[in-house]
Amino acid sequence: MGLLDRLAGLLGLKKKEVHVLCLGLDNSGKTTIINKLKPSNAQTQDIVPTIGFNIEKFKTSSLSFTVFDMSGQGRYRNLWEHYYKEGMAIIFVVDSSDKLRMVVAKEELETLLNHPDIKHRRIPILFFANKMDVRDALSAVKVSQMMLLETIKDKPWHICASDGLKGEGLQEGVDWLQDQIQAMKI
Amino acid sequence: MTSSLGAVRGVQHRDEREPVSVERSNETNSKWLDAHYDPLANLYTFSSCTALLDLHRDGEAKLVVGDLGTGLCNMKLKVYKGTSLMTENALLDLPTGVVTFLMDQNEPRTPAVAVASGPYIYVYKNLRPYFKFTLPALDVNLLEQDVWNQAKQDMIDPMTLKEMLEGIRDKADVPLSVRSLRFLMLEQEEMESFVNLHKHHPIKRQTVITCMGTLKKNMADEDAVSCLVIGTESAEVLILDPEAFTILTKMNLPSVPAFLDVTGQYDVEFRITMACRNGSLYILRRDSKRPKYCIELSSQPVGLVRVQKNIVVGCSEETLHAYTQKGKKLWTVYLPSSITTMGLLDQKSRGFQAVMVGLASQEVHLYRDKNLLNIIRTPDVVTSVCFGRYGREDNTLIMTTKGGGLIIKILKRTAVFEEKDTSPGPPLAQGVKLSVPKKTKLYVDQTLRERENAVAMHRIFQADLYRLRLMAARAYVKALEGSVAPISSVQQEPLQMNAVVQGIGPKFKLTLNIQNTSINHPSIHLLISFLYDERLYSMENSFFKIPLLVPGLNYPIETFVDCLSDKGISDLIKVFVLREGKSAPLLTAHINMPVSEGLAAA
Ligand SMILES: Nc1nc2c(ncn2[C@@H]2O[C@H](COP(=O)(O)OP(=O)(O)O)[C@@H](O)[C@H]2O)c(=O)[nH]1
Ligand SMILES: [Mg+2]
Repeated sequence: MGLLDRLAGLLGLKKKEVHVLCLGLDNSGKTTIINKLKPSNAQTQDIVPTIGFNIEKFKTSSLSFTVFDMSGQGRYRNLWEHYYKEGMAIIFVVDSSDKLRMVVAKEELETLLNHPDIKHRRIPILFFANKMDVRDALSAVKVSQMMLLETIKDKPWHICASDGLKGEGLQEGVDWLQDQIQAMKI
Repeated sequence: MTSSLGAVRGVQHRDEREPVSVERSNETNSKWLDAHYDPLANLYTFSSCTALLDLHRDGEAKLVVGDLGTGLCNMKLKVYKGTSLMTENALLDLPTGVVTFLMDQNEPRTPAVAVASGPYIYVYKNLRPYFKFTLPALDVNLLEQDVWNQAKQDMIDPMTLKEMLEGIRDKADVPLSVRSLRFLMLEQEEMESFVNLHKHHPIKRQTVITCMGTLKKNMADEDAVSCLVIGTESAEVLILDPEAFTILTKMNLPSVPAFLDVTGQYDVEFRITMACRNGSLYILRRDSKRPKYCIELSSQPVGLVRVQKNIVVGCSEETLHAYTQKGKKLWTVYLPSSITTMGLLDQKSRGFQAVMVGLASQEVHLYRDKNLLNIIRTPDVVTSVCFGRYGREDNTLIMTTKGGGLIIKILKRTAVFEEKDTSPGPPLAQGVKLSVPKKTKLYVDQTLRERENAVAMHRIFQADLYRLRLMAARAYVKALEGSVAPISSVQQEPLQMNAVVQGIGPKFKLTLNIQNTSINHPSIHLLISFLYDERLYSMENSFFKIPLLVPGLNYPIETFVDCLSDKGISDLIKVFVLREGKSAPLLTAHINMPVSEGLAAA
């Protein structure tokens, strides 16, 4: 069925829920990717977006996903930061065809990594260099360079190129994330 | 000792100041993210020829640039998407303005791009040529026309034509056409062919567009239909209908406009501010064909930006002036270098507006009122600035440079411009700490004691105050009882006395004014006695009788006092009013004698 079956099954035995945060700039492809990951039996709770703040949630028997756009000018920032505490793994989606905003994505990542609820935790981060199908899109290596990912020393991270529309590259990323969550021994 | 102290203090000063300057430069850098820099973008333009718009209505704003090329060739209309050039269209002449506007209510509401170039406005929809507007031709000089007709019929040779045209040029009210002016610039050998090439075409006189803006038709909405507003070389302002491209309104100016700003709605009320080449600003309003206000600048305007309701104009003498929309001057800022371009920074999410000023010193300064909020250093002199939504980012700053470079910066989402003044000069100097002497131990101890014992100290003070008041009251009562006051309290003899001393010495005249204040009881058998230091003063008569005192009348009693001392000292003389046979006085007066000043002269 879904891409997350192995993880869900594994965690199902442990009877423990894992919260995954899926973040990135608006239009990076988060909703598209999450919809691909979503098992058919998942219950979706779409929260009506408040002005300037868009959040989606869904839950499987043992996994809960919180997806939100890192957008806007600060007024609503603390609203999404409020979810950092419960996150146990992060999926960070980057639009690799948006060269102009790569620097904004980098800035948002930096802010995320310096947040007190994230900073001192060994929380695994999976990066999707999404929209790899777009002509002139940056490679995963290039994205990782521009985002200065090699400077992340205290958290396990992984980047893979993806095509959210076709679902390409998602399995590789999710496999890595499952290994990380398993290793966390919850 | 002192020198070593001075040295130590000097070091401290440096320590205090350095972190401040570092902080400033960091702060400046940290407001902006460097999204893109292409020094070889080959983009030569001014702020008036750049615009941002959501061209394809896909949420991703594009940059439209009227590229001036080399000024002679390679003039193009370029469209950028993200970091790369998307399309380009050739332009026939130099662009003088690029604006985007909505022409009609039709769906989809695709914005049109208008490019002013020579006497034309090229309107593009979906980046395809849609309409070309031509400014109406101006009247030609009839004499000039006549002369060219003669040339056409070969009645005159080129040299005669030249002489006649020169004569017309020097006298006529109506200026010559461009063709005649070009002809007059030619060398003799080129004339013949020029005349043969052009003589069969009628002469035309055409003006050109110098600046262009937009004016909402009748709604204030962001996506309301807008009219085009243009300024021309013939010192006119035209407002064009957005659909029919007819001239809705024509207004005249005293000079050729170089920059314009438009606010309001055509059908309701509007203001057009024109910065003209004669060094004046003119403000036009809806119902007047002539400027309503005129602001005379001290030098040529080089940029014009409206911030909310105020007009900020940059001048060639390195100054920035602000005026209200009625022409009242608000402030002036002196800049470190000459202005290359100006633009508005409008951070809509925070309702924040400021003026961006490109300087020849390779900096862009950001002013909010007269406060310098931010400095952006650029690798080359900036010739155009444009701030707004670009791509999917709301607060993007796009700059082009003199060398044809393209710089894109994104305002950090967490950045807040502080209202404090960061300009160099006196305010900064005031921040330097003075070497105020250290608080002494005594001072500190005293302060501590005061802080700890405040209540007790207050109580003691209050007790002392009451005691003082009591003592004063007692002394007063005693004085009354002893009749040592100038008012007698004895019921039978109510008297009042005051004394006046006249003269500068050594001889003084003493006048005692005595009054019986009873209603009908005369005073008799009264005596006056003086008591004084006999080493200092002498009196002919220090004890005498006074006559009967009729109630209510004032009796001036005069006597003379000689001062015996030349040491410049003075003393009290006491006056007693006594009743015969009684030793206790009825009243007493103390006279403070002045210092004798006349002794030296005497
Ligand atoms: N070409 C391409 N488009 C994508 C891809 N992933 C998402 N998109 C498109 O990008 C746009 C934004 O996607 P969305 O999932 O809504 O982004 P979100 O704002 O991060 O949730 C949509 O039009 C998607 O169809 C991809 O891998 N390739
Ligand atoms: Mg989404």
